[in-house]
Amino acid sequence: MLIFIVLALAIGLFMAWNIGANDVANAMGTSVGSGALTLKQAVLVAAVFEFGGAVLVGAHVTSTIKGGILSPELFAATPDIFMFGMAAALLGAAVWLLVATIFGLPVSTTHSIVGAVVGFGIITVGWGNVNWGTMASIVLSWVVSPLCGGLLAFLTFTFISRKIILSESPYDATVRWAPYLVAVVGFTLSLSILYKGLKNLNLDLSFSVAGPTCLAIGGLLGLSMRVWLKRRHQPTGFSVAAVERLFAGLQVVTACYVAFAHGANDVANAIGPLAGIMQVYQEGTLAAKAPVPIWILGLGGVGIVAGLATYGYKVILTIGHQITTMTPTRGFSAEFGAATTVLAASRLGLPISTTHTLVGAVIGVGFARGLAALNLRVIRNIVTSWVITIPAAGLISVVAFYALRSLFG
Amino acid sequence: MKTVHAIAELFGRSPFGPLVRHTQKVHECVREVKPLIEAFLRKDYEEVERLYDRISDLEHEADTIKRDIRTHLPKSLYLPVNRADMLKYLKEQDAIADTAEDIAVLLTIRRTKIPTALHDEILLLTDKVIETSDLLVKAASELERLQKSVFGGKDAEQVIEQIAQVNQGEYEADKVQTQVSRHLYEVEDELDPISAYFTMKLFRLLGEIANHAENTGDSLDMMLSNQ
Repeated sequence: MLIFIVLALAIGLFMAWNIGANDVANAMGTSVGSGALTLKQAVLVAAVFEFGGAVLVGAHVTSTIKGGILSPELFAATPDIFMFGMAAALLGAAVWLLVATIFGLPVSTTHSIVGAVVGFGIITVGWGNVNWGTMASIVLSWVVSPLCGGLLAFLTFTFISRKIILSESPYDATVRWAPYLVAVVGFTLSLSILYKGLKNLNLDLSFSVAGPTCLAIGGLLGLSMRVWLKRRHQPTGFSVAAVERLFAGLQVVTACYVAFAHGANDVANAIGPLAGIMQVYQEGTLAAKAPVPIWILGLGGVGIVAGLATYGYKVILTIGHQITTMTPTRGFSAEFGAATTVLAASRLGLPISTTHTLVGAVIGVGFARGLAALNLRVIRNIVTSWVITIPAAGLISVVAFYALRSLFG
Repeated sequence: MKTVHAIAELFGRSPFGPLVRHTQKVHECVREVKPLIEAFLRKDYEEVERLYDRISDLEHEADTIKRDIRTHLPKSLYLPVNRADMLKYLKEQDAIADTAEDIAVLLTIRRTKIPTALHDEILLLTDKVIETSDLLVKAASELERLQKSVFGGKDAEQVIEQIAQVNQGEYEADKVQTQVSRHLYEVEDELDPISAYFTMKLFRLLGEIANHAENTGDSLDMMLSNQ
């Protein structure tokens, strides 16, 4: 059994590695493309904030996904099957992610793991025990999450374009409006951490405490942005290029925001099933909710950073080089729209995908006339890859399950 | 294996960079018209042939850029400007180079002697026409930068002002064309009918360059305001 546990940990690490190689890289590509971050800086930002998001907010989502699609109680009598199944699901999701990374497909880690869990669920406890309601919400999220991310990004870029780019003096308008944008980012970011977020650190703030605190944090950030902008303020005429340079700084903030939201939302995918396996191994029984030890979250974080450093940088570089028409104002809008949607969904426990949301956000910026050209034909291929993710990860997971059972069972 | 990442693929190829390159190529064509006409007037037909080849090559290059832009504009590409306006713009701008080539062709097919009395005014007309094209290039070269400012704001206002100057340039070229045509008939006794026809045709083609420049400017204006 010890061999199996070591193997399971290795598979969990492999899954985290794949999240770092594919998903994180997708999320950081826009920052590198606009030139707001260099490759090294992007990797650093991702490493720090993914880790932070995973450890601080991560666990909240874990149990929802794991327990949502398949009830662990079904395996109360057969904890071994549950352990093999969880390991198989991790492997299935990880292998599918690897395939997607190689082919440059922006698929969801969340949906890969759900598809994989469903795959082994069907062959062990049957179709009837799969929570098809959760599945329906996932299908719905293929439409809703890009739509939400897209709408937010559309509105953000329209705001920037109306109030700043098209104003009489774009630079002065940036000095005027940018602090508000920073305040909103600060507010949502801190709210996602403080409000029910710090369970891992045993700091559970109610909304009446968290709300005002976060307003204060957002306000403070906005105010310091204002002071900083005023101090370095130099009249540069009507140049939109100067605005873009300022927004490159703001985009660093949203890049952190995206990495944090992603860590909060997606790292749980790798460590959730692992937490389930560890619980069975240590206690011999399984409950509806497995406690997620912080060391497992840390392991997930390490795996992601490793994936980012060994392969993800290639994906970031590919995307960054190919989207040179993205500018910091566009990148800021897309990332803000995507990260806000993801954090809100994480809070609500909805299994949405960072990548899907970001794709929607990029399209939203395009529809706000922010991009030189938006290739709508690709959307069909992208959505197809989203749909295929569920059965593909499920199928690989089934194969892995039979293999693991015959090896260790 | 080289994979184009799907997120990167969402960003379609920008047509604005190639459009500016087309502008510049077309203008290179137009700039050769002055030495071409000078050579023709001083009866240096070898130089006329050489310049014809040069203009023809440049026109061909502009054509290639035009076709490249068109083939990369599938319906599935969402653009921040009206597609029809953009295609009209491209078509009119390309017609400038076509007309420059027509002039070069005309000057190689017949060694017409144009009365010396008209020379100065023909060169003045040529200057006016090239000036109009110059004004257009100034406005059209901003297209790529305009995309970054969402085709509005101060940058767009400046371009719209420059387009007004293109229209003014065309108006002035028109006046010179009328004037030089009048003078042609004043010295009609020195000319055989075919030479007169030929010279009139040269005037008309020169005027057409300015006309197409004006139309190009108008389509650019449409692209900016038709939102």
